[in-house]
This record gives sequence, C-alpha cells and structure tokens, in this order.
Amino acid sequence: MMRQTSRKVGGKRNLIFIGTLLVLGLIVLLDIYLVDRILEPMGYFYLFFVAVAVLYGVYPLHANRRLTRYYWERTKRHRLSVLGLAFIILLVAVALIGPLLTQDPTRVNFDEKNVPPVGFTIQQSVYDLDTDKFLVREIPGTYQHPLGTDDKGRDLLAMLVSGARVSLQVGLLATLIAILIGTIMGVVSAYFGGWVDQVLMRFTDIMMTFPFFILLVFIIFIFGPSLVFIILVIGLTGWTGAARLVRSEALSLRTREFVMASRSLGASDARIVFRHLIPNVLSSVIVIATLSIPGVILAEAALSFIGLGDPTVTSWGMILNAGQRSLDTAWWVAVEPGILLFLTVLAFNFLGDGIRDAFDPRSQL
Amino acid sequence: MNRRLVEVENLKKYYPVTAGLLSRHVADVRAVDGVSFNIMEKETLGLVGESGCGKSSLGRAILRLEEPTAGRVLYKGNDITTWGRRQLKELRKEAQMIFQDPQSSLDPKMTIGDSIGEVLLIHGIGTEQERLEKVTELLQRVGLEPEHTMRYPHELSGGQKQRVGIARALVVNPKLVVADEPVSALDVSVQAQILNLIMDLQHEFGLAYLFITHDLAVIGHVSDRIAVMYLGQIIELANRKQLFSHPLHPYTEALLSAVSVPDPHQKRKRTSLPGEVPSPVEPPPGCRFHTRCPKVMEICRQESPVLRPRTGGRLVSCHLYG
Repeated sequence: MMRQTSRKVGGKRNLIFIGTLLVLGLIVLLDIYLVDRILEPMGYFYLFFVAVAVLYGVYPLHANRRLTRYYWERTKRHRLSVLGLAFIILLVAVALIGPLLTQDPTRVNFDEKNVPPVGFTIQQSVYDLDTDKFLVREIPGTYQHPLGTDDKGRDLLAMLVSGARVSLQVGLLATLIAILIGTIMGVVSAYFGGWVDQVLMRFTDIMMTFPFFILLVFIIFIFGPSLVFIILVIGLTGWTGAARLVRSEALSLRTREFVMASRSLGASDARIVFRHLIPNVLSSVIVIATLSIPGVILAEAALSFIGLGDPTVTSWGMILNAGQRSLDTAWWVAVEPGILLFLTVLAFNFLGDGIRDAFDPRSQL
Repeated sequence: MNRRLVEVENLKKYYPVTAGLLSRHVADVRAVDGVSFNIMEKETLGLVGESGCGKSSLGRAILRLEEPTAGRVLYKGNDITTWGRRQLKELRKEAQMIFQDPQSSLDPKMTIGDSIGEVLLIHGIGTEQERLEKVTELLQRVGLEPEHTMRYPHELSGGQKQRVGIARALVVNPKLVVADEPVSALDVSVQAQILNLIMDLQHEFGLAYLFITHDLAVIGHVSDRIAVMYLGQIIELANRKQLFSHPLHPYTEALLSAVSVPDPHQKRKRTSLPGEVPSPVEPPPGCRFHTRCPKVMEICRQESPVLRPRTGGRLVSCHLYG
C-alpha cells in the first residue's frame, strides 16, 4: 500500500522539481532585469541543491527503507568509508555552523601576526624602537587563536572554517551540475542511439578536449572572479566523464528485456528514460559523483592558489597561497589547509570506494 | 469457427549490415523473409525453429516492437504497420508479450507491484486503489501472494518472476499474447507448472497465443496449430496432430526425430542433418533447406518452393509435394 502511494508521489515529484526550477528561473530573471539582488547568487545554488537533494536523495531513500538499509549494511563493512563519511559529516557541520562561532576570518590585526598554533612557540626578531636593536622575542601559541594566525594576524581557525564552507560549496554544487548534465546526456545518448548518440557523443568529445582553464580565465577576465562563475564553469565543463560512464552503463541496460517489456506495455520514451533507465544507473551515478567531488575541490583550491579564485571568500587554496610565501617564518599557515585538503579528498575517495563496493553485486563483501 | 485475430501477410524484417566510417549499407540479415499466417481467436499457434531462424524477430515485428521492413500485419482486420504512436498505445492493451528471461524482463529497481501496476498507470486505468486491487488479484491468480507486491525481483525465484511476467502481460486484459520462449530459462520442474498456468489462463481470459519456442516437446504440449520456421521462412504449418503423426517437410521430420522420448527401448529412425544453418545474410538460392536436405532434388537448387495447401488444410513448402 505504501509503495503504491510512493509511485503516485513519484509522478508528482518530477512536477514539483520542474515547478521549483521554473520559480527559481523566474526569480533569477527578475533579479537580473528588474529588482536588484533578491538573493545572493549562491542562494539560488543552495535552493537548487536542496530541492534536488530532498526530492531525489532523501525522499527515495526514505521511501525504499528496506533497500537503503541493505546498502548501508554493505557500505558499513568498508571501515574506511564509514570513517570518511564521519569526517564529511563533521566537515559539513563545521561549514554550516562554524562561521557563527569563530571570529571574522577577514579581520586583520598586525599586533598578532604569525602567532603559532597552541603548543608551539616560535622565536621572532622584533625591532625595538627604544634601544634601536633587534630583540629576539618568544611568541607562544594562545587559546585565542588555537590554530595560530597568518602574516596579517588573521585567525587561521576562522579562515579554515570559512574555507571548508567554500570547498564543500564548490565540490557539491559543481559536481551536482556536472552529474545532472552527464546523466541525462549519457542516458539519452544510449537510449536513442543512432544520430542522437553521434551528435551528443561528438559534442562530449569536443567538451572533453575543450581547455576549461582558458574558459575560466576568460570568464574571470570578463565578469570578474566570483565563486558562482567558478562553480558554473567547473560544473558545465566537468560532466563529460560522467556522460561517458553513464552512457556505457545505459547501453547495457537498454538491451535488457525489461526495456523491451516496458515498450510492449505501451510506455513512452520519456517514461523508459526517467522511470527505468535513470533509476538503474543511479547507483553508478552516486559513485561517480562521490569520486569526482575531490577533484573539483582540488580544482578550486588550485585556482585560488594561483590567484584566480574569488578574492572575497577565504578558501583553502587562498590560505595555501598565503602560507607558501611565509613558509620559513610561519609553516602552519600552509600546513593546516594542506592537511585539511588532504583529509577531505581522502574522505570522499574512501566513501566513494565504499559506496561502489556496496552497489556492485559482484563484490564479495 | 473462430474469427481471425491476426493476419500476417508477407512480413519481412531485415536488419541492415553496415560497414565503414560512413556506415555504408552493405547487406541485410534477413531475419524474417516473407512470412504469412493467421492467428485465430483463442487458439495457440506454436512457432518452432532453431535459434537464429527469426522466430523472435517475427514475434516482435507482429507487435511492432520492431518495425517490419515490409508486409502487413492485420489485427482484427486493421493494418497495424501504418499505425501511429497513439494507436499503438491502444494496441498495447490488446496485444501483450511474455519474455524469455524473467531475470532481465523485470526492472530490478521496481517492486513487483509497481512493475505490474505500471501498465495500468500508463494506460490510465482505474484509481490508485483499484489498480492495487487488480494487481493483487492477478498476483493471486498466477499463484503468488499479495505480499509479493512489495518485493523486488531479486527476492523471487525464476519461476516466481515468470509468474510476475505473465501477470504483467495479462493485467490489461489482452486478446493476444506473444510468448517468446516463456519457459526455456526455467528449470524443467518449474516449466510444467508455468506451462499449465499459461494454458489455464488461456481458457479463463479467452487468449490467443503466439507461442515461440525451440522445444518441440513444449510446443506439442500447448499448441493447437504449429508453424515450423527455417531461415526466416515458414516451411510447414499444420495442426498439432497432423504435424506430429505425419510431418511432410524433411526439416520437420528431422526436428521431430530429435525429440527425446521417455522410453529408452523404443526403436526410432533418426534423421540427422549435415552441416550448419546457412547465414541469413546470404540465404542459399532455391529452397533454403536444400544444402542440408536428405531428399534434395535438382529443382530444389534452382526454384524456391511456395507454401501451398495440402490435404487437411495443412501448408507445406517443399518440391517433394509438387
């Protein structure tokens, strides 16, 4: 009985999603042409992300509790992936509530520059005006700046928390865009075949060889550096790998008899694509998504590191960049974001591996 | 006398063979090459032949799951080969299919209830409650429990899955069911149960079957009339009794002599055929069977025989009979 209800909601769900998209698009248009700044650009991304996550993530997981529990049991057997998941949840929590608790990451205070993390003490030569000599002064780490400060006296903890938010934003949103495009391209290409397949896949080839870096530099040159554009460019250029993987998956599904069966029942092409093919490639899509998040996070960090990032937000790449200039006086400025970046990338990779094994019926778990 | 439900006229299904960068069309696989027959209401027409002889393609082309290359298929007198999308959807309510592999014919991500209910949903039949009742009722009719609506295909056995496949085909009350090797993927012990179910349902729902199989024992069990196919053509069509007691075409004879009989002491004349089935890309000239026929004559190499009526209303396409 319960499932029958959920099937009905399944139809409504797509309507709700399209409705949300329309409303969002309308507000964006209003924003651009009539009223100024109804929402910050990131706000639209958030709304979009939440809509997709609830309608296509949380809801189906809840509706198919039995299946969800089965996959969770299998993922759990992969110790490292549980660890990775725990780290990611922690990171999300920090990114969401952390900025409320920490200091302003952009506040400069030259009296407290280069303070080391708690437990470390460094020696610093300071020019003394009275004696006209250089004095060697010991600077101990304080609890006011548990992770130290950089050469402008900014609190590193606050900067790292802010960086976590940026990294997750970029990682999740850009991946979401890429995965959505990739999945639809792949499934449509595989299902319709023929010239549709040819056109879509040649387009994918072109996108694959397209130098996304130059595009990004170009866009930043025209519109100025902004996180929104970085997310859009990474998302809109990064779907090619997903499209190819999904296509190959969908090609093998298409030859299965249940697709022929649906057609013999009178199902339309749209129904077969959205009701049968996409749910069946979803497990691979989730794996591809999880495994591509770290790449995106690294791409953003790399951009910030070379100074192409959004200067108004504090990201890990930016801190790394600041840190490498003062590596001899304040090693922690570069090391701390480096470690976090490393752990985050590792956590997503572990989680991705775990999910892949859980979804793969051939793996012996 | 029952009315004709389906009339197939000179149906052809060619698959193009392409080569090169520009996908040049170089040849055709003639899977179905000029086939004509009728299916009467409420009868079972068995279609038997070796694998690769085009029997599945024929079954699919009749339902327009694959587009026929040429020829006509009349359903209740209307030519469905010209039908558009909307009319075809109506046809799907009248003509359904049971698939060979119950493992892959059900969507692994859908519950049994959803898989069967989807048909009703597609055709907008009934309210949600009515649909559920119908699905439950039908599941019980095919020998499953109402609880199975909540199950996923991987939680069922092969036989149970095939029962689901049958229920799904019958949920819209079709008049014609094309059963494409419905039992050949099942254990022998389960085969009989499913066959009996299929036959019981025929009487109950007034169905006509096109029953496709390579297994003569199975086809002898269920069919009223039997069509024998070789290399894309029907070479003999007769009612079951005639065909089994007195096969006319040498190929039918050879097929029947290969059926295993549950008596080890019975003396039988075995006709074994030399060679392989020729390629359907370049079928041999003249009679398609002449390369392997034990009774081959000179005319067989030059002229292809036509399917012609013989005594007792049976059809055979062989030069031996004039």
